[in-house]
Parts: sequence; C-alpha cells; structure tokens
Amino acid sequence: METAVVLDRDWHPIHFHTPSGRTGGSLPDSHDLWEVLWTNRGNLLGVAHSHPGGGVPGPSQTDVTTFAAIEAALGVRLIWPIVTSDFAGAFVWRGPGPHDYAEWEQRLKTEHLRAWVHELLRLSA
Amino acid sequence: MVLQVVQAEFVPGEATLNITWAGQNGDLPNPILFDSTDVDIRRWATEAVRGGIPGITADATVNFQDFVVERFSATEGLPNRVVLRPKTPFGVERTA
Repeated sequence: METAVVLDRDWHPIHFHTPSGRTGGSLPDSHDLWEVLWTNRGNLLGVAHSHPGGGVPGPSQTDVTTFAAIEAALGVRLIWPIVTSDFAGAFVWRGPGPHDYAEWEQRLKTEHLRAWVHELLRLSA
Repeated sequence: MVLQVVQAEFVPGEATLNITWAGQNGDLPNPILFDSTDVDIRRWATEAVRGGIPGITADATVNFQDFVVERFSATEGLPNRVVLRPKTPFGVERTA
C-alpha cells in the first residue's frame, strides 16, 4: 500500500500518512495531510512516499503536480523522496517550468534515511 | 456572485472563503455563496490574491490550478466555510 511520511529538516518523521482509500499505487487527496504540512511549515523538509515494487523510482504526473501545488501554497521549495523496495531517490524543483522536477543533486545517504525509511516500507507492505 | 455583508451575522447560504498561498493565509473580505462552483471560487480567489487580501500580499503570478475546494457546513458558532488549499494525492489517480 502506498504510504507517505512528512519529514522535518533533520530528516526525522513528523507524521506517517496512511489514509483510508490508499491503494498499492496511490494516496488520495487528504485535508489531514495538508493540515500537518501547514502546521509544520516552519520546520518542513518535505514528504517521502513509497512506490510499489522495486527499481529506481521516478515521480508520476500526479506526484509532480502535487509537489508544485504544495510548494506554491507554502511558499517554499521542498525535497520529495520516493522509495521502492530496493531503491530510494529524492526529487526537487529544477525549473524553468512549474512541473520540472529532477533528481536531487546531493543524493540520499543513510543518514537521511535511517529515521524513517524502514517504517515507511513496513507500512507499505 | 459575491455578496455584501450587511450585518455581522451568519447568513444562510453564504460562506467565508479561506485561501492559502505562498505561505500566507487569509479570508476573502466579502462572503461568497456556499454552493458557488469550484471554477468561480478559483477565479475569485485568483483575482483577490492578484490584488492582495488581508493576510496575503498581492501576487500577480498566483495560480490555483492544482488546488482543491473544500466546503465545511456551519456548526454552532461558526459560519459556512469554503477552503482553497493545494491538492495532496500521490501515485496514480484513480478514475471514478
């Protein structure tokens, strides 16, 4: 089941997002998730979510339009990790278009992942 | 249709429109009809934020394309509210 986690600027989980209506490949729109993001906007890194199966992840069209909308509402750019069963990647806005997201140049390291990735994958199983 | 507030009390059928944009949040100064269409709501919000409203500084680049409209019916002591906020789905959107 697709799952998300809201991360603070220390790469620690603020909120694991497991709403009703999620499927193996989607998370529905959620007022509650927006409330968490707005409440924590002063210390927000971004939102990580899982993709089904394995392999190198890449954001869907739904993902990038959600990234852009949330960033526009919050007035800040965030980092958007995506995790599969065997790979993790992160994506950021590169421009110039509003939906032009590319892989984060710094690349994810263990220190970025250790506080949340195992729980995210467990909740996604 | 945007209505004028005649008295500071809740009028059935009307609602406040709350908008979030660029890290700021504010209410449209005048109430709207609670059953206004999403298209109209986005248009009014766009016009309002282009000129600025209390709580949100003017922004000519405002675009609410991927924002959702939520409606909350009145409860005791609170009027009808309409909220315009960003969508938050991930993955593959399911069709109805």
